[in-house]
Amino acid sequence: MDELLNDVVPQEDLERFEKKYHHELELDGEVTSETKFEYAFCLVRSRYTNDIRKGLMFLEDLARTHPDGRRDYIYYLAFGNARIKNYTEGLKYCKAFLEIESNDQVRSLEEYIKKQSDKEVAKGMAVAGGAALVLGGILGLGIAMSRNKQKRDK
Amino acid sequence: MTDRAIKLLVIGESGVGKSSLIRRFVENKFDENHDVTIGMDFKSKVMNIDGADFKVALWDTAGAERFRSLTPSFYRKALGAILVYDITNRDSLVKLEAWLAELDSYSDNPNIAIIVVGNKIDQERVVDREEGRKFARKHRALFIETSAKCDQFVSDVFKDIVEKIVSSDFGNGNGSNSINIGSNQDLEEPTSTCYC
Repeated sequence: MDELLNDVVPQEDLERFEKKYHHELELDGEVTSETKFEYAFCLVRSRYTNDIRKGLMFLEDLARTHPDGRRDYIYYLAFGNARIKNYTEGLKYCKAFLEIESNDQVRSLEEYIKKQSDKEVAKGMAVAGGAALVLGGILGLGIAMSRNKQKRDK
Repeated sequence: MTDRAIKLLVIGESGVGKSSLIRRFVENKFDENHDVTIGMDFKSKVMNIDGADFKVALWDTAGAERFRSLTPSFYRKALGAILVYDITNRDSLVKLEAWLAELDSYSDNPNIAIIVVGNKIDQERVVDREEGRKFARKHRALFIETSAKCDQFVSDVFKDIVEKIVSSDFGNGNGSNSINIGSNQDLEEPTSTCYC
């Protein structure tokens, strides 16, 4: 799953579909759902978070307005959210998908997101635990110093 | 021996069993339901060929039309392509011509190894074995018939193509004068039927 999520869209693909998108927008004042999806499919595989967010916005819009391709949009909404570590959102879309259709590919993605999100929680706890230790150390030092001072004062 | 990565592509019409072949090979599972692949999927498996480990990366492509324009970038750096058709559906073999043309125009490897796979031999045949073989020969590809459902000759698909790639690409250091035993070899598997 890592390989799939880490695979970055070639720059020329992103540019090609971006151009197509803007071309249609300028020419017709609107963009077909195919073109919008092509561009969004590239954006969510970009290395930049802002691109991914933009892609997710397009996909949300498509999922609302174009029910025919909904399974593709929902999958890539889960996929994009997983890439920017938005695990709660990602899981939400996986669940929504699996409620409609059983699918091995989506189940793998769901498992992966769950694992990653558990890892993040564990990491957060380790950080919090570390902070507690440091804090304890400072307090301990303070107490020791003040005791020392008391001793000297006597 | 060092681990080496081999990228393989799996292409063909929707519903011929691309994902099922991969799933059978990697996880030894089969699901009667047809889970339509969305865009691209990925699975990998380590294969040992002549004592060396190779990490085989399997890129599974959606057969659906709407992803056609989007998948070419995945063709890059592929060392081998697995072209799948369904022996109960002649059109799926005919359409492999178009998939080959796509491979031709998007692959950056002129020596890409190709294997043509006729899947679903557990079902009633419409396409003769000879037709598939002829198609493969015409395109200098390996050929095999399989059943992902009954696990017949599935691992041979991957073994044959990886062996071919290893013998020609990683052959013997300089690679130029290695004897390529694997090429043009047509597999003579006994025709078998299973009703499982």
